[in-house]
Amino acid sequence: MMTDLILVLVVLTNLKLLGSSRLGASIRVVAAQGVMLGLLPVLAHVHELSLHFAALAVGTVALKGVVFPWLLFRALREAEVTREVEPYVAYITSILIGLAALAASFWLGGRLPVSTVEPSSLLVPSALFSILAGLFLIVARKRAVNQVLGFLVLENGIYTFGVGIVAETPFLVELGVLLDAFVAVFVMGIAVYHINREFDHIEVDRLDRLKG
Amino acid sequence: MKHEALLWLLILVPAATGALALLLRSVRTILGAMCAGVGISVALGWYVAGKVLMSGPVSAGAEWLYLDALSAYNLGVMLLIYGLSSAYASVYFRVELREGHLTLKQARLFASLWCGALAAMTLVFISNNLGIMWVGIEATTLLTGFLICVHVTGESLEAMWKYILICSVGVAFAFMGTLLVGASAHGLGLRAPEVLLWTRLQAHAGSLNPACLKAAFIFLLVGYGTKAGLAPMHNWLPDAHSQAPAPVSAIFSGFMLNTALYCVMRYVPIVEAGTGNTGWGLRLLTGFGLISILVAAAFILFQHDLKRLLAYHSVEHIGIITLGVGLGGLGTFAALFHTLNHSLCKTLAFFAAGRLGQMFGTHDMRKLAGVMRVAPVWGMGLFGSLLALIGVAPFALFMSELQMLKAAVDKGAILALVLFLFGAGVVFVGALGHAIPLAWGKAASTVQPARAGTLETLLVVVPLVFLLVLGLWMPGPLQTALNAAADVIRHVSPALAGSPGGIMP
Amino acid sequence: MNALSFIPLLLALILSPLLFGVINRTKALFAGRRGQPLLQTYYDLWKLLRKGAVYSRTTTWIFRAGPMVGLAAAWVAATLVPLGNFPALIAFPADFLLFAGLLGLMRFFTVVAALDTGSSFEGMGASREVFFSALTEPALFVVLATLVSGADWLHGGPVLALVIIALMIVLLAENARIPVDDPNTHLELTMIHEVMVLDHSGPDFAFILYAAALKLWMLGALVLSMVLPSSGGNPWLSLALVSGGMFGLAVVIGVIESVMARLRLLVVPQLLIGAGAVATVALILTLR
Repeated sequence: MMTDLILVLVVLTNLKLLGSSRLGASIRVVAAQGVMLGLLPVLAHVHELSLHFAALAVGTVALKGVVFPWLLFRALREAEVTREVEPYVAYITSILIGLAALAASFWLGGRLPVSTVEPSSLLVPSALFSILAGLFLIVARKRAVNQVLGFLVLENGIYTFGVGIVAETPFLVELGVLLDAFVAVFVMGIAVYHINREFDHIEVDRLDRLKG
Repeated sequence: MKHEALLWLLILVPAATGALALLLRSVRTILGAMCAGVGISVALGWYVAGKVLMSGPVSAGAEWLYLDALSAYNLGVMLLIYGLSSAYASVYFRVELREGHLTLKQARLFASLWCGALAAMTLVFISNNLGIMWVGIEATTLLTGFLICVHVTGESLEAMWKYILICSVGVAFAFMGTLLVGASAHGLGLRAPEVLLWTRLQAHAGSLNPACLKAAFIFLLVGYGTKAGLAPMHNWLPDAHSQAPAPVSAIFSGFMLNTALYCVMRYVPIVEAGTGNTGWGLRLLTGFGLISILVAAAFILFQHDLKRLLAYHSVEHIGIITLGVGLGGLGTFAALFHTLNHSLCKTLAFFAAGRLGQMFGTHDMRKLAGVMRVAPVWGMGLFGSLLALIGVAPFALFMSELQMLKAAVDKGAILALVLFLFGAGVVFVGALGHAIPLAWGKAASTVQPARAGTLETLLVVVPLVFLLVLGLWMPGPLQTALNAAADVIRHVSPALAGSPGGIMP
Repeated sequence: MNALSFIPLLLALILSPLLFGVINRTKALFAGRRGQPLLQTYYDLWKLLRKGAVYSRTTTWIFRAGPMVGLAAAWVAATLVPLGNFPALIAFPADFLLFAGLLGLMRFFTVVAALDTGSSFEGMGASREVFFSALTEPALFVVLATLVSGADWLHGGPVLALVIIALMIVLLAENARIPVDDPNTHLELTMIHEVMVLDHSGPDFAFILYAAALKLWMLGALVLSMVLPSSGGNPWLSLALVSGGMFGLAVVIGVIESVMARLRLLVVPQLLIGAGAVATVALILTLR
């Protein structure tokens, strides 16, 4: 029941991201999503709580809820932007596409040949929806920070998928994945800083000197 | 035991060197330390790889680290490339230092990331746990990202951003695939830490869930294929290779693409056994390989930038290797042989492109002309490697491609054969059209020729000689090694070894 | 059609103006005032019915028909809505389509009557009203479809929460409440619903006011049917629960009106589409 609630909230946060133009709000929404998903395995296995589950949950919540927003807000401050520029796909159209993607995720989730380990049948569809929403953000938005957020949502979706279909991913692997995500965001933050310094903007569609 | 310690050292030595490089004070010491660290790793790695290729797999760390014939072979090739590239990097950056283009900070950044990338790639090869292998690949993406923009310019930033984003998304998909492979082992009763161990999955491959494996392989192919530069996911490749400094481009083309392809190769025997040996996965590989060859051929025709041209050649050759693995049998053997040949050749090509770019001040092929007159040694290196790349006999690449053609005929894959020949033909014509003006065109008068030192001459001559020799004669140990490695992919026990490789009768 | 089924209709007809009183009282309390008497709306209706009406020379029969058709539609719709344990007076399969259609008829005639005056004020209000309702109707329909497709989520769970949120936004939009429209404003740039009925007077205005009260009651009853569990067979308990629930809802609306400001006109479509999205998510969750 709690897992159902969390997954529905994740779906709603994805829709909010698709429709939001304020980058600060988007960063907070992604952070909230990360925190909720970090707590998901703990809530699912609340009767068999072990040290490494708890440690992993704490680590994920700290990383996704505190460190990532801090890095991204720093990048935003350096670039002095607050809002997304006219995106490739308008916001309302984005939400409608998101709803279609949600329906598609539910359809696909039913047909995927995985037996969900989790007691929630919402898990695979919401994971697929997060993946699609993340991809959409990367493709349809122009500000680099938005693309980083899309990447984070994509990772969240894949993580949700992992929670569901693999009973216990080994602890070290989880740690490695977390570390990779951290370094990725760190590196992307530095990249955004450099891009802003060099070009004086962080709109990715204007990076088009290399062609052919 | 000794081998286990060596496996751990293989990761720790480069990592330590990278950390050390951050503390040193002068560019020369940094470059020297980097070469030393890489040299030690190369020696250790070759020793272990040789041991494995002669006496069988080695494992350590409760089977989380594991080196068998396939990974040992690839490790050996990678260390060769890394060693050559480190030597070249010291030459290349010494020139830059002389001209005042390299600051201490950039040198530190370069050296630490260079060694870190070596450690990460070694991790990919020696890890048995598919999840850790994935962590290694993602780590190489992130570490090499900043290697692209050692010199921060608009274009290099653009290339780096595209590279990081596209490859991270691709590698994320590969993680999906890894999870699905883990899920396909659900119900086999494997304990949690063992679910992603390759050796375990290989042992139980027949009883994995086939539908899950199929979904997993698609994700893995698309994901790791993005990192390997298979079309249509190759968009980051030309930008990244053209903007990175030459040693980095050499590493990218020379080994990082192959590392990603190695990951795909690791999954092939599992998927094949799991889907009942119907060749479903192999067909996908063949398809992607052919698409890469054709797309690369189309783009090679109208390139202006030398390094972009070489980058598209990489896409083509990665396509050829994939095609070889997809054909199976002799094709697998040929694909692994091609790995060695292509890596050597491409590395040499990028070395030459880098030095010539430094001399001429540009990589634009319209201005970069007449290199044979201006710099005979590097010019010969460039022209020779271009000839080898397009498959001119008797270089080794011709031999491996010929073996692949034979594999295609043996298998009856006539369409693949025709498309491959067509693509190779287009590349031949296009690249030769670029190469001849490069070598003998009218040189601009503003170029000051530089005499090539001993090290540089060695760096050119040794790979060329190697390629020439390998094209004419396959040494026995190499053939055994290739067969052992290919058997891992073909999932054949050594007793029933597949078709022999070697020189055509 | 037993005696109990008259109760929802009677309650609607008698108690609906009281809703406005409760809302206004709540807002006044928030503002620190004492506020209007609770029965103020009844006094207003009585006053308006005894006044004479003034009709502009540019208007036609549509202007006179608008309020009457609106009230008639609201009245008929009130017979369709069940309340708590009491069944509706008229019930047949898919009657919610008729309900939505009657609301639409009411809106259509209000808009057409407004356009009939030939004044640009009303025209502006009419265009805004039609635009917003074009965004609200899908949300309403999706919510109704969710209600129809399965009732096992009514006992709780995230789907119920989503449906209630969507329906509340629809209620606020349809009844011209903050944050979609301010019922107290008379500034030309900000009026939507108020401006359409600006030229009506006397009994016409009384009809419009009463019809608005009925509409609020009906949509409130829809929300209430999801929030309140169905009590046992006791009709008096049910009556008490239902009336209490409706006035509780009125208090909630009053609170919402007091703590929020009206949204900018450009942002309202986003809110409405958000409601539609939330409703669609609920529908997809029930359909899987």
